Amino acid sequence: MIRRYGRLLALFAAVETQYELEYRVNLVFNVLQQLVVTGTSLGAVLILFSYTTTMNGWSVAEMLILIGTYYIVQGVADSTVGPSVERLLEHIRLGTLDFTLLKPANSQFLVTMRHFKVRNLFGVLTGLIIIGIGLVQLNAALSPLQVLSFILALACGLGLVYCLLHCLATLAFWFVRVENLLVIYGAFVDAARFPVDIYPGWLRLTLSSIAPIGIAVTVPAEAMAGKLDLLGLGAILVATILAWTFTSWFWKFGLRSYTGASA
Amino acid sequence: MSAIIEVRDLRKTFRVSERESGLRATLRAFVKRRYTDVPAVAGISFTIDAGEIVGFLGPNGAGKTTTLKALSGLLYPTGGEARVLGFVPWRRENAYLQQMTLLMGNRSQLVWDIPAADSFRVLQEIYKIPDEQFRRTLEELVELLDLEPLVHKPVRQLSLGERMKVEFAAGLLHSPKVAFLDEPTIGLDVSMQAKIRKFVAEHNRRTGATVLLTSHYMADVVALCKRVIVIHRGKLLYDGGLAALASRMAPYKLIGVTLRDGADGDGLAQYGEIASRDDARVTLHVPRDDAPSRAARLVNDLGDRLVDISVEDPPIEDVIDKVFTSESVS
Amino acid sequence: MIATYRTLLVGQFQQASQYRVSMFLYLLFSLIRPIIFLAAWSAVAAARGGAVGGFTVADFAGYYVCMGLVLHFTTAWNAYEFEFEVAQGRLSPKLLRPLHPLHYSVVENLTWKAFTAFGLFPALVVIAITFHARFETQWWNVALFVPSLLLGAALRFFLGWVVAAAAFWTTRVNAVVTLFDRTAFIFAGQIAPLALMPGILQTLSYVLPFGYWIGVPTDILRGGASLEQSLVWMAGQVAWLIASYALFQIVWRAGVREYSAAGA
Repeated sequence: MIRRYGRLLALFAAVETQYELEYRVNLVFNVLQQLVVTGTSLGAVLILFSYTTTMNGWSVAEMLILIGTYYIVQGVADSTVGPSVERLLEHIRLGTLDFTLLKPANSQFLVTMRHFKVRNLFGVLTGLIIIGIGLVQLNAALSPLQVLSFILALACGLGLVYCLLHCLATLAFWFVRVENLLVIYGAFVDAARFPVDIYPGWLRLTLSSIAPIGIAVTVPAEAMAGKLDLLGLGAILVATILAWTFTSWFWKFGLRSYTGASA
Repeated sequence: MSAIIEVRDLRKTFRVSERESGLRATLRAFVKRRYTDVPAVAGISFTIDAGEIVGFLGPNGAGKTTTLKALSGLLYPTGGEARVLGFVPWRRENAYLQQMTLLMGNRSQLVWDIPAADSFRVLQEIYKIPDEQFRRTLEELVELLDLEPLVHKPVRQLSLGERMKVEFAAGLLHSPKVAFLDEPTIGLDVSMQAKIRKFVAEHNRRTGATVLLTSHYMADVVALCKRVIVIHRGKLLYDGGLAALASRMAPYKLIGVTLRDGADGDGLAQYGEIASRDDARVTLHVPRDDAPSRAARLVNDLGDRLVDISVEDPPIEDVIDKVFTSESVS
Repeated sequence: MIATYRTLLVGQFQQASQYRVSMFLYLLFSLIRPIIFLAAWSAVAAARGGAVGGFTVADFAGYYVCMGLVLHFTTAWNAYEFEFEVAQGRLSPKLLRPLHPLHYSVVENLTWKAFTAFGLFPALVVIAITFHARFETQWWNVALFVPSLLLGAALRFFLGWVVAAAAFWTTRVNAVVTLFDRTAFIFAGQIAPLALMPGILQTLSYVLPFGYWIGVPTDILRGGASLEQSLVWMAGQVAWLIASYALFQIVWRAGVREYSAAGA
């Protein structure tokens, strides 16, 4: 089972990458654009830090780790689930989702992992570099445990973003002009550039619950910066499992309404 | 022969929001929308045997696509039962999906940016088609549909007709036992329609797949289907042979008469209602039962003036059209 | 002309009412960035014992609440749809109509803003209360704000169209738009009130047009500048509006010529 889906995934990615590579100039422009965006975002943070040395307990070095994590999370989302979800919305609008539903394979897998934009993985690279700079600035020894908890928290964070995107896309079964639903995601993603703890209560709550993009970035960054305890790690793990369960149920629920089955 | 598709009292009701024009109505709808229930399929039953090609006819909004969607598994009906290959379609079990296909003339399942060949490879993996079988089926489809020059181009560069051929290949790669074709020739030019028709017939002959087909083009139906099912306003009107449709649905026949002198067509009105008149040829509408006797009288009365006489069923398009426009059909 | 606008408006309203949910979603964009940077500056102010360069948390709140308003009423999105229209060949029929495509865009903007304003005001009030915003607005601030806001909106509108006109020459409008957006992000007064921009960046902010789109109307409404200063800024707005209108005319005419020559 897992082997079959692994093979499918590899095939999907291979086919789409092959297509992307044919448009090399696009690729170059995309990378340049990403550099401009990353550069200006870093600039904004540096302007803030020109007035202070810490922000809510986050030093510049720690902040860089957070921004790096942000670009990793965003890069993975924008190269994997993001494009698939965009297509899903299009499929629902054009009625071509019908074909996907009639395929003898898990529909949730087919709609969220079908399309890739490998070029956006460049963001992951930038993220890693920024984290590297942050770690050098931090000038502290990095324990294997820190790295391990970073990887685990990051995996959870990515899982949370996957769930969020998939749930948003599922809403398309009920709302017209659904591509705008991704606007919510876009708006909240913007907020994840800063640690969630700087925000007022209601926004912090939003970024940690129904739009968990905030903790998806902050918690792994805390892990890397050595600010995370076991409790926090456990919490994000539990949250991810819950979110995953809910997302599967919600997708099936949405499908039932799409096909006219009584819920 | 065994029944492949069994449908009993299938019903589907949709809830639609009403929308009026005008600014005030729009503003009102902004606050509160009103809904009405529309029965798209109001209880239809039929069975289809293995290997049949059945034409599914009806005007726009008759419930054809709804029925097709329910049978393919996309729609959950409001009531009634259906079995396709022994499966309840809307459970969408993989074992069922593996053996059926749905092709829609106005929708594309291929990814537009990449060549069809790549989509085929993805489909092979999804349908778990063994390599050997995949190669054989693809070869056959490429040959039948003349796809060789098309499969390596990005789909968006293909013409409508070319794309439909590739869609057919994509839908039939896994050698389905049942194929639902929804308006497969829509928007295509006459020669491409003929090609698609020929392909469907040939494919049915080779594989023995059961085909349920809807089309607005009677030529598709006449060329492919021995049997037709006619629905109107969600109800079944007719289920039987295409040839018998005319006698059941049209209570008249056409007698064509060509006169040597061409003139005096008016005199023919006593034999039947004059339907058309073209120089020397006059076509008469006569009640079906009276057709033989009227024809005999014409031969008798006109004698030498008669060049040619024929008795025909009305064209199938006219019959269907008459069925759909008349309110009361028994 | 008024009758034309009336008809276009009714049409737009009908379209808009179908997309009521998504319209309120777009409102998030006008609000989220001000909130993010308000929170960030609040954290910085807290680290510095309550104030940064004369701005307390309450002043930042006042600034960013005003900015949310300005951002909402001046941002024009639809210039970005222009690329899509050109690519899809939808521009040609529009060019054949006896009405400049610009007017559709004006109407679209008006409708969208009118609809979403209902959601915007309560949201801004909530933010103002949450952060204990302080305004130093006087009667002349309000009087100057209205023309200043209109100038900012018009300036942004024409700048947006200049950027959009790139679609006549290249299929990579996206890259041009990104560059425009990110430059505006830095210099328009979004990441910091213009007064807090460090060194050379501040000078640039007052030279480039972006500050006259967001920063200036915001500071005028907040009461963050003297009457003389405000009037000087508004003169800057007028200057940049004239410049961007001229630029738009040049670019658009050349663009349409290019477009027709390409045989579209």
